[in-house]
Amino acid sequence: MFEFKLPDLGEGVAEGEVLAWHVSPGDAVTEDQVLAEVETDKAAVDVPSPVDGVVQERHAEVGEMVQTGEVLVTIAEERDAEASEADGTEDGTTSEAAESDGSAQAATSAADGRVFASPSVRRLARERGVDIAAIDGSGPGGRVTEADVESATAATDETDDTDDGPTSVVSKVSDDDDGGPTAVVSRVDDEGDADDGTAVKSAVRSVSGDGQQTERRDQTLATPATRKVARELGVDIDAVPTDQTRDGQPYVDEGAVRAYAEAQEAAQAADAEAVSAEGGAASAVATGDAADAAAAGAGTETTPVETSEGERREPYRGVRRSIGEQMARSRREVPHATHHDRVVVSGLVEARQRLEPLAEERGVDLTYTPFVVKCVAAALEQHPILNTALDTENEEIVYRDARNIGVATATDHGLVVPVVDDVDGKGLLELAGEINDLVARARSRDIERSEMQGGTFTVTNFGAIGGEYASPIINVPETAILGIGALKERPVAENGEVLAKPTLPLSLAIDHRVIDGADAARFVNTLKAYLADPTRLLLE
Amino acid sequence: MVVGDVTTGTELLVIGGGPGGYVAAIRGAQLGLDTTLVERDAYGGTCLNHGCIPSKALISASDVAHDARQAESMGVFADPAVDMAGMTEWKDGVVTRLTRGVESLCESAGVNLIEGTAEFVDDETVRVAHGGEGQGSESLSFEHAVVATGSRPMEVPGFEFDGEHILSSKDALALESVPEKLLVVGAGYIGMELSTVFAKLGAEVTVVEMLDDVLPGYEDDIEAVVRERAEDLGIDFNFGEAADDWEQTDEGIRVQTVDADEEITEYNAEKCLVAVGREPVTDTLALENVDLQTDEDGFLPTDDQCRTAFESVFAVGDVAGEPMLAHKAMAEGEVAAQASAGEPAAFDHQAIPAAVFTDPEIATVGMTESEAEAAGFDPVVGQMPFRANGRALTVNEREGFVRIVADADDEFLLGAQIVGPEASELIAELGLGIEMGARLEDIAGTIHTHPTLSEAVHEAAAAARGEAVHTR
Repeated sequence: MFEFKLPDLGEGVAEGEVLAWHVSPGDAVTEDQVLAEVETDKAAVDVPSPVDGVVQERHAEVGEMVQTGEVLVTIAEERDAEASEADGTEDGTTSEAAESDGSAQAATSAADGRVFASPSVRRLARERGVDIAAIDGSGPGGRVTEADVESATAATDETDDTDDGPTSVVSKVSDDDDGGPTAVVSRVDDEGDADDGTAVKSAVRSVSGDGQQTERRDQTLATPATRKVARELGVDIDAVPTDQTRDGQPYVDEGAVRAYAEAQEAAQAADAEAVSAEGGAASAVATGDAADAAAAGAGTETTPVETSEGERREPYRGVRRSIGEQMARSRREVPHATHHDRVVVSGLVEARQRLEPLAEERGVDLTYTPFVVKCVAAALEQHPILNTALDTENEEIVYRDARNIGVATATDHGLVVPVVDDVDGKGLLELAGEINDLVARARSRDIERSEMQGGTFTVTNFGAIGGEYASPIINVPETAILGIGALKERPVAENGEVLAKPTLPLSLAIDHRVIDGADAARFVNTLKAYLADPTRLLLE
Repeated sequence: MVVGDVTTGTELLVIGGGPGGYVAAIRGAQLGLDTTLVERDAYGGTCLNHGCIPSKALISASDVAHDARQAESMGVFADPAVDMAGMTEWKDGVVTRLTRGVESLCESAGVNLIEGTAEFVDDETVRVAHGGEGQGSESLSFEHAVVATGSRPMEVPGFEFDGEHILSSKDALALESVPEKLLVVGAGYIGMELSTVFAKLGAEVTVVEMLDDVLPGYEDDIEAVVRERAEDLGIDFNFGEAADDWEQTDEGIRVQTVDADEEITEYNAEKCLVAVGREPVTDTLALENVDLQTDEDGFLPTDDQCRTAFESVFAVGDVAGEPMLAHKAMAEGEVAAQASAGEPAAFDHQAIPAAVFTDPEIATVGMTESEAEAAGFDPVVGQMPFRANGRALTVNEREGFVRIVADADDEFLLGAQIVGPEASELIAELGLGIEMGARLEDIAGTIHTHPTLSEAVHEAAAAARGEAVHTR
């Protein structure tokens, strides 16, 4: 008998409310079939069966709370009859393979070492880095099947895993990223964005991840009523993730359609916001240094899971994972190209020196950042292609009128990107004050969500920590990000002489789908002219 | 004069546009690599221009003429005339259609096509010399290169190809008239295929072979079927003789052979076709500039990703070793392209089928019974003669058989040999079976269409399990 305990639903969730049961005692279930819908305070999650078998008992009623680790349902596994030690094992495949007739070993180690497996299975083994010759096939005569490779992969991956429970939902989700079968349908809760940004993030994750969104069936069974709902909600029924089947065909019910529609909506909202932070759900822009700083910060929020000899493990959750996913998404979807240049900024240094005391008199600490932001805005005005967003949904490039510059900020709790609105309309002092205020409040986590939204271009000043050049990751759906290296004196060749001059290294990453290298170079040239001599700003 | 030699860059450079090369190029482009294909002669390589395709075209055409003459037992009387020039023109039409197809497939996949001969400058650059003298050259830098330069017919010392008296297989496929008397040196698959063609077209064909039988490498009971049919066509076989010398005569040529006892035999013929094998082409590549060594047979050794000793240089097809078969080249080309694109590809195919388009055809895949034994298996064999197959009789064919070799214990398919009508088509099912790790029961448990030749495959699998219904 297999006791299915409520698995870890992620984000440190300790309990969930049973929203609906999809199976009843006596139902035969297959691995990955949805057993129940469980709602946590952050998201509604479909809980899949980790095994094949027959449902024996449901241990909670709809509306009841179940703690993580409590038994949710018991399932009589198909192999219960033959194996009594069933409970301890991960799933049926491995042990079945071992139990199948003795010829398995004989076959796989047969004669000249030939392995009997189809080309697709051999490719899978190569992709997973598994030595197919070492797998005992569970197919007829010892033929190695796809499932054998999968379980061999799992065995390799999970050697350290002491968890004797069922495969957790979280790990199933990561499987999905590999394009595997849909296992968990994580959905956005209506109220999800109320207080805790991380909840939104996590719920949206599996939906906005490419795995499910792009997975489209040729055919889907559904009742006419469900199809009607799908039409009304503008949902492509063939794209709705499902684990249910009828007569061997994928089957979608109305709930799944509604859930998918909500998820889509939330995903779009999340895309539009791109930069969001609440309770540390910071998003995404980063340079190596900033990300590192954020990593250090994020680490403080988590608790080590397990410590073994020579390593320490921390959960990959919360802010860290939100940042990670946003980064991964940007890297995955956006073809980055980075343009590097260096500008002599004697004029900028001079201007700041001149203005600093005046600013001080008015109680404002004048750093270089407002100068840079101001110059960037002026350069953007002349090169609007860098002030765009790519709307992949409608296949349109969106030119933004306002120049709202995000300033990537490393904080103790992760990477945050406050946005300075309408840079053009603000004077240097006003800008300086606003940026200082935003950054300070970002660090003290006393910043409004709305203050991190609506950016059209991002500047990341990793040089404040150190370094020259970087390859910044674009804060999607924006299409460019400027990385600023450390301002210091460097050798500059002029008129046949090498002189020490204050220089600023620039690293501009562009979304090459929208912006070409020539655009990037021209933008940087304009920007350099402003940085070299900020008084040019007066001309415009 | 040399016009500007500007180095341009490409991610995947493919040298040679035959089956291995064009597949690598198209696949590479499909995988998003900036791909350039350099071809010095004709797209499609030997296969499309001077090998598989033109020879099969002539085989089919000669079969039409021959079968018409031989159909009296079926109640058909005919005496077709053969216009060799017309036949060649039709064959060239087929070739042109296919080579243009390859070119346009490459173009629509986004492959840059360059005509010329590529040689290595160093391990990341080649120089491509265009066309003839004075056409200039250009340099190309690459991230990955695929060498797919193929092979060419081997010459016998003293029998240099002149296209008039001493013919290569390429020359023989472009003849404007049927030679009255044709001497064929070599009874391998190319010699046998072309001997059959010209015998069916009315030539008096004599074959001399250094070894003591036709089709070395094939089992005796297989080549016996083909040899018997060839002798029925009037082909005269002389074994144990090596071509030694030739001279021009008033009527054509006189070729002298010598046997192990130094005994000399003379043959008068109009033309002499030399088909003693093929050798890899590497001498155009300037391999010394990348320090790449060929093995003792002249091939470029490769690993299971088709990589040479240089990680960035792949070799596929004939130049990478036996078997010299177009479909092996294509499969390797695909692997090389995928590996270049960083995919975990490998040439791990379990078996490479081979077909000989003699009359009747021969096709094999995987191991023979003795090869299986040598590999440590305990093989079981099932055989079905075509004489017991209804469809074979209705196409007026009674010779040949399907033989399946499997492991006696677990019944996995290990190999198959077919000699008989459409053997080249029938072998595909067994190739699939071997790749999939199918067992005898899988073949025997699959319903095969009646009445077709494929029932012989089904029956052979059943016979190996001792369950044959139609044979004893």
